[in-house]
Amino acid sequence: MSKWIAFLLASCALGQDPRQIVEEVQRRNRSTSQRYEGTLTVTSAKSRVTQKRWRYERMGSFGDSKAALRFLEPPEVKGVALLVHNHRDRSSDQWMWTPELQRDRRIALQDRSTRFFGTDFSFEDLEERDAGQFDYKLLGEEKLDGQMCWKLESRPRQTKRSQYTHSYLWVRQDLYVYVMVEGYKDQELLRRIAYRDYENVKGLWTARLLEVLDTKRRSRTTMKLEKLEYGVPMKDEDFTLQALRRPL
Amino acid sequence: MKLLNLLSWPYVRKHKLRTLLTLAGIVLGVAVFTGMHTANLTMQSAFQRTVDRIAGKAQLQVSAGETGFPEDVLERVQSLREVSAAAPVIEAALATPQGTLLVLGVDMTGDSSLREYNLEGDDEDVIDDPLIFLAQPDSMIVSKQFAARSGLGRGSKLALKTMGGQKTFIVRGVMKATGLATVFGGNLAIMDIYAAQAVFGRGRLFDRIDVGLSEGVSVREGAAKLQALLGPGFQVEQPQSRGAHFESMARGLTVSINLASLFALLIGVFIIYNSFSIAITQRRGEIGVLRALGASRGQVRGLFLLESVVLGVAGSLLGVAAGLALARGVVPGLAATLQDVFGHAVSASDITISPPLAAFSVFIGVMASLVGGYIPARSAASVDPVKALQKGRNQVLSEGENRWRRRAALICIALSAALIGFGDANAYFYPGYLSGIASLILLSPSMAMWLARALRPVLKTVWPVEGALAADSLIQAPRRTSATVTALMLSLALAVGFAGVSRGIYDSLIEWMRHTLNPDLYVSPSRSITAKTFRFPASMAGELRSLEGVEEVQPVRNARVMIGGEPVMAVSLDIGAIARRVRVKPVEGDRDEMVRLASEGQGVIISDNLSLMRGIHRGDILEIPSPRGLLKLPVLGSSVDYSDQQGSFLIDSKLFQRYWGDDTANLFRIHVKTGYSREKVRQRILKKWSGSHEIFVYTNEGIRDYILNLTGQWFGLTYIQLAVALIVAILGIVNTLTVSITDRRRELGVLQAVGGLRNQVRRTIWLEAVSIGVVGLVMGAGAGLVMIYFNLHMLHRDLGGLRLDFTVPYAFMAAMTPVVILCSFISALWPAESAVRASLVESLEYE
Repeated sequence: MSKWIAFLLASCALGQDPRQIVEEVQRRNRSTSQRYEGTLTVTSAKSRVTQKRWRYERMGSFGDSKAALRFLEPPEVKGVALLVHNHRDRSSDQWMWTPELQRDRRIALQDRSTRFFGTDFSFEDLEERDAGQFDYKLLGEEKLDGQMCWKLESRPRQTKRSQYTHSYLWVRQDLYVYVMVEGYKDQELLRRIAYRDYENVKGLWTARLLEVLDTKRRSRTTMKLEKLEYGVPMKDEDFTLQALRRPL
Repeated sequence: MKLLNLLSWPYVRKHKLRTLLTLAGIVLGVAVFTGMHTANLTMQSAFQRTVDRIAGKAQLQVSAGETGFPEDVLERVQSLREVSAAAPVIEAALATPQGTLLVLGVDMTGDSSLREYNLEGDDEDVIDDPLIFLAQPDSMIVSKQFAARSGLGRGSKLALKTMGGQKTFIVRGVMKATGLATVFGGNLAIMDIYAAQAVFGRGRLFDRIDVGLSEGVSVREGAAKLQALLGPGFQVEQPQSRGAHFESMARGLTVSINLASLFALLIGVFIIYNSFSIAITQRRGEIGVLRALGASRGQVRGLFLLESVVLGVAGSLLGVAAGLALARGVVPGLAATLQDVFGHAVSASDITISPPLAAFSVFIGVMASLVGGYIPARSAASVDPVKALQKGRNQVLSEGENRWRRRAALICIALSAALIGFGDANAYFYPGYLSGIASLILLSPSMAMWLARALRPVLKTVWPVEGALAADSLIQAPRRTSATVTALMLSLALAVGFAGVSRGIYDSLIEWMRHTLNPDLYVSPSRSITAKTFRFPASMAGELRSLEGVEEVQPVRNARVMIGGEPVMAVSLDIGAIARRVRVKPVEGDRDEMVRLASEGQGVIISDNLSLMRGIHRGDILEIPSPRGLLKLPVLGSSVDYSDQQGSFLIDSKLFQRYWGDDTANLFRIHVKTGYSREKVRQRILKKWSGSHEIFVYTNEGIRDYILNLTGQWFGLTYIQLAVALIVAILGIVNTLTVSITDRRRELGVLQAVGGLRNQVRRTIWLEAVSIGVVGLVMGAGAGLVMIYFNLHMLHRDLGGLRLDFTVPYAFMAAMTPVVILCSFISALWPAESAVRASLVESLEYE
């Protein structure tokens, strides 16, 4: 009983501090590595549907991780890869590899607001957001998808370049996971990301379905995570430009 | 106004043809002025428009002349806090059946922050699938206009010539026909910059970086920060500055247009002067009556000046309209010439009409008309009512009048000589030039008279009656003749002046080519050797060397860099290797020492024209901006080099590669082994690379012909202006003869009444016309020699820094002689017929 009370008190205390909520979300989601295969389905405003598959590998955790994303399908894009080096104190470094050209290119910081290869994600959305790069405000509590959530506001600090002036985050109170994130530019909603189908994989609650809505373009992208694994052994050298060049 | 209605209008109605001829003088003068300036303006604004639209929201552009720079510069630019967006760009011009296609290589992952790609259809997608666009190097977006012209749509295949030969591209997007897509007359295509590097053989270089600045950062502040970051090797400029560089490159063209326009107008002035002088002679009775009725001298002068203003306004307005039509005709040729000569593709689908230019054209047309009409108006005002009915008196130029002109001419000659001898500055030279031309104009009546007198015995010997009458007509009516002869003299002087210069340039070019262009073959990635779209990889030199029959391969890389804010051609080559084959006598410096030090990278050899135009001499330090910093190299000497109108310098390829990080080649000079057939080696090269590379192999003669044709193309534009000037002068002859016949109607009537045959009358008029032509020819040839002198000086000092020998264009003068005589003769046909068909009774009653 005392244990239960202590947990409730701790939850209340965390609930008072929005930064601690976000840090707890990140703490609970921490893993040494992650791997999955994702299926991206983009549905345009005119209901045109395109599909892509990729393999995602990440080593390290929030704010200090390296990730590699390789497209598997369709055949025209097979082997195209994106390398992301996340940093705690600054924006990530990103490179793209195009096998047909045998060329890598750096994705500039200014370009992070552009769409991620025709999906409704932006390059920035693929970055891992370290809590230290934002200021948070707790706006209240709301029920979303039948779950009690904290509604937080996050604003990038001066050092961080972001396309969003602020974002709203809905965090499930029971699992400390995001349910929804809305990115705004001033008063305009640019993008809404919904996290669905949470599943506990090796003790980590993970959304198996992400849905992104680009409000301006009225197009929608869903990303389905398959073959999800955590704690897979990975090496630093798998996250270099040289590694990207290796054929699939 | 009342007088204009009462006196001038009836005269105009009675002499419609003459009025039309006078009007034509103004029309053509103004048309040349408006047309050529509009064409020039069109090219410059088309270039600027292209630059502006491509630049999009970019506030600054980072470049390193035409050489390009390594990719790492992009990261440095992007790292600057003041920079909100930096997008690399490569530009290339490709020949297609639908005209030149401007291909823009951009990085689509971030370029939309600076440029807007409005795609066809409501879908906001730039392309069907951006990832496929980036992943596939054959991806291309085209403008709607180009797609329509080529019958393309999304998914269509488009075959284009690339460095790797003919390649098929896939159209993955079509841009709406607005904004960026309107660039280059709609002939625009977009591709991924990294694919463009491969397709155009650009290595890992960018042409430039377009920069958007962060909020609150001024352009000045942003430029200063970028310049400080990148160093003096880069140009950080606003997009509009590129227009100024283009303008500076085409300066030679502007000056020649100004000169020819000035002459066309001057010739027009003489036509007007001639017409008004004649009109006043014919209307002196009218003027006498007017004066007798109490009209003041001022009123008479005002009437004629008003007439010239009315004529000037009408002629100028028509001239502006004709000029715009002329510009429309000239622009495509001009665009092709600029592309061929400077390697810059410019597309102007329509002409740029400048209201200030049109207004200025009308103004100078009216001023020319007023200037031409002023002396006749003044002489009309001085008509003595008593003498007004005495015929022929006003036709005679008094000896006093001629003496005054001769004295003024001598003063002008002395002034001209003094000014030119006094100093080399433009402030002395150009007034000296104008004084020289003024002296020719002032001397022309006397010279015309002397020549007509000299012609008389010749004419009389061959055709005793007709010859004497024709010569007498010229001698007795100098006022009628002298202006026409002056106009003809000026147009011929202009033609001879240009011909002399062009002959000089051709001779010097041929001499230069004989010494420097001695390889057997030239391998170029483009048909045009000035085009910079494609470049060969360095590895190709080795492959060429390994071909049977090839003795030596000399790679050449040339590109303009900015020195002192102006473009100068950098020519990078293995100086030691070239010097073993090319023996050019330097203008400044010791050849062996120059070659030794230059090949060690211890200095540069500059072209003589760069030395002359910029005042740079041996021992001076040339500060050359390069992507690796400012390269300060001593000038080892200078030699004649016609690589570029703005000047050039030779730099050893090792040094160039080190500082520019660029080992590509624009051209390979190939020496064939002794005993091997040049043609067979040529075929071997073509065979090896056909299919894998776009390649053009020129023979030595082929490259020389190419350069000479290019020069001819350049002069071709001038010839249009010369032709118009000549037409104006010929109109003057028609005008003069028409008046001459009217004046001598009675005389010709008497000739027929006493048994003169119609053919004799015809011949008299023909001979008179031909005599005007001959006199004009002789005077034009003389004045042309003076023009050559001045033109050579202008070229030497201000245009190309060219040191040319004074060359008399004998062949041109010989060719012009029958042309002018024939034109003079043709211009006499109609007046002669009208004279013989006139009623004998009316002719005898005339006056």
